[in-house]
Amino acid sequence: MQLKIALAGNPNAGKTTLFNQLTGARQHVGNYPGITVDHKEGCLLHKNKKITITDLPGTYSMTAYSAEELVARDYLVNEKPDVVIDIVDSSNLERNLYLTIQFLELGVPLVIALNMIDVAKDRGIEIKVEKLSQLLGVPVIPIIARSGFGEKDLLEAAIDTASTSNNGNTTLDISYGKDLDSALPELISLISENNFMTDTYPARYTAIKYLENDEQILKKGRQNNTEIASRLEEIVDKLADHTRKTLDVYPEAIIADQRYGYIKSIIRQGVETHRFDTDRLYTSDKIDKVLTNRLVGPIIMLLIIFGLYQFTFSWSELPITWLESFFGWLGGIVENTLPDGLLKSMIISGVIDGVGGILGFVPLIMFMFFGIAILEDSGYLARVAFMMDRVFRMFGLHGSSVMPFIVSGGIAGGCAVPGVMATRTLRSPKERMATLLTVPFMNCGAKVPVLALLIGAFFAESKALYMFLFTMLAWVVALLAAKLLRTTVLRGDPTPFVMELPPYRFPTIRGLLIHTWERTYQYIKKAGTVILGISILLWALMTFPGLDNEQKGFFKQQRQETISSFSQETVKELDLKSKPSSEEAIALAKKLNTIDNAETEAALRYSIAGRVGRSMESITRFAGFDWRTNIALIGGFAAKEVIVSTLGTAYSMGEVNTEEPESLGERLKNDSNWNRVVAVSALVFIMFYAPCFITVVCIAKESSWKWAFFSIGFNTFFAFLAAVAIYQIGMFFQLG
Amino acid sequence: MRRKRGKKNNGCFADKVRNCFGGNHCALRGAPASLKDCKGRVKVCKVNGDRKICARMASMGLYPGVEADIICAEKGSRCLLKVHGGTISLDPAISENILVTSL
Repeated sequence: MQLKIALAGNPNAGKTTLFNQLTGARQHVGNYPGITVDHKEGCLLHKNKKITITDLPGTYSMTAYSAEELVARDYLVNEKPDVVIDIVDSSNLERNLYLTIQFLELGVPLVIALNMIDVAKDRGIEIKVEKLSQLLGVPVIPIIARSGFGEKDLLEAAIDTASTSNNGNTTLDISYGKDLDSALPELISLISENNFMTDTYPARYTAIKYLENDEQILKKGRQNNTEIASRLEEIVDKLADHTRKTLDVYPEAIIADQRYGYIKSIIRQGVETHRFDTDRLYTSDKIDKVLTNRLVGPIIMLLIIFGLYQFTFSWSELPITWLESFFGWLGGIVENTLPDGLLKSMIISGVIDGVGGILGFVPLIMFMFFGIAILEDSGYLARVAFMMDRVFRMFGLHGSSVMPFIVSGGIAGGCAVPGVMATRTLRSPKERMATLLTVPFMNCGAKVPVLALLIGAFFAESKALYMFLFTMLAWVVALLAAKLLRTTVLRGDPTPFVMELPPYRFPTIRGLLIHTWERTYQYIKKAGTVILGISILLWALMTFPGLDNEQKGFFKQQRQETISSFSQETVKELDLKSKPSSEEAIALAKKLNTIDNAETEAALRYSIAGRVGRSMESITRFAGFDWRTNIALIGGFAAKEVIVSTLGTAYSMGEVNTEEPESLGERLKNDSNWNRVVAVSALVFIMFYAPCFITVVCIAKESSWKWAFFSIGFNTFFAFLAAVAIYQIGMFFQLG
Repeated sequence: MRRKRGKKNNGCFADKVRNCFGGNHCALRGAPASLKDCKGRVKVCKVNGDRKICARMASMGLYPGVEADIICAEKGSRCLLKVHGGTISLDPAISENILVTSL
């Protein structure tokens, strides 16, 4: 029989790290809370027993506060796993046991994994594992999820617990003080007698949740049995009035206090001993005093981001040149090996110039991801969120909106899809919607090659600075858009912000390399699959239907006329296919090349994609975009990387001189339709127009199709207006 | 009249800069004051405000009776609080509603 194990615990306790260790999965982990927002499943075989492990989002309490915490709670209640492994941060035992107590109250078969036991030891905290296990009545296994220490013992304990548990009938009953304890029996008997949600929750647990004013349970109760629900609510309201009058607190505060009291009573029985003072500030706190300082903090943050770009561009420059040369050489080989025809055109223009254009940026992406992995694993990103909270509030967003912005590419290189998913951590629906609609403005990993291409071609003198400026621009525009939304269609009061900051940790080289490789591999995989497919499709759209016989005849005639104007010897010299040496032969080659280019460009203009691009030119010319750029921008709706591959294909199809292969950047630079103003206008449009198809689907899934279409329309309209303004002003002042 | 040395003047730029690097201890030692007005080690006396937020903070380890360290308090702004070995950040609205006494 298959065993179902769920991994639950506080945010940033190491659940996903353990999940990856146990299943061999490569789920994203980082040193900040709220990375996992949905449950993820993985399998493993242990002693011929198939085990399904589910990694749940972190939660502080079984009273769900936000959408992702609800996922964890609902899974535990509805799916009823055979055993729950509660991952507890050993260095923060008291707070983590608060959730453990609630698991025991719910009566789930439980095993406690005492994670980061090494960190606790470093902080002078010693935990008596057997004693804790004896007092809580559940197995407690010390582990280090990062290294795999204790993993086998934990699995054994989980299997034992699953086989001996009697479906979670044993529950923990804590005394909640005179007032609440006197009301509980009445609530429990009302619940039990009427079988009120007893198939899902133990009666006492439901009673406690009513006392805690748990919104979801109250809602579920009203749906289940309105009469009983209102009677329960009546009892609880009466009690809440009483506690407010006598103690000036709500029942949930008494419950929390009693739970912590119970935890303290356990810990003080010699479970935890401290070698150092408990009020000692650790290095992490001392660093925070500087890095999160109101004055120094933001300056350090900007310097770190700028430093990251400087590092990325300077270190990736050489490998990018190598890759460009490699793809140029490869194109030359195919050009000289294969006979002229569709296959050759597809391989050179569709595959090598299309996908090669994307793969050429792999070194840059890799260095960028490496830098981000350092910031993420060290815990600094959470501090960025803390510092940005103040700015976000001014624009009607929430402190919890910062992390979705960063995940989406706040430091260039993220992805809007997990960014949209990460908005689940926001409690207010309006703040969540405003965040969800503005995170696609960030410079995701797919936009990085476009930025690198255009910045590299037109602003090569200070690439890191321009990258930094465009990143800042993305933030400013996203925040202004959020302000606009929050003052119009998404008006509403702000909600308070409270977040846990993880301690600083030294990233391990292994961890950094794994993170960097995983993301780089995803980029390469996408280039080799989705982008390859779209590139070939766009190549076909840029190739067919081809020129008609009359047009072909026109170019043939031009060629013949040119050849006949030269001597026989010159033509023979050119036929030998070796490099022409005489001036006459060189002139003939140039003229023929010009005709070939004109024919290829005419074919491209006449193609399906060319016609679409040209039909839009009457509008897009106000932003400085020609028909070839239009084709690339349409391709960008599928995935932003396609913009580079399509430009690569479009500009390679209009350029048949392969003797001196040029990079795409050089081709754009030499093209009469492109200049610095057009580059900025295009960059702004690309940064802010409609999100890619997958992000749109994700927005629809997380909200509705109405908002998904709104994001397409709103973003594209805004991006176009901005691009037109930039182009018109830039050209007026002759900045191009 | 000359102002006494050390007396607080929020209008002075030097004081504003100084405040960025930490506020004062609670004005009246022993009397509950808002969290944003204190620094150093404190004991939480009361948590006011929205029920949901109070419950949330309790689940994060911030409840009446608990001892905490203010790591980074900014006048009228956010606050970093170390409690139970963990660090939590609070926005101005929340920190204003937490009454503490200096230890």
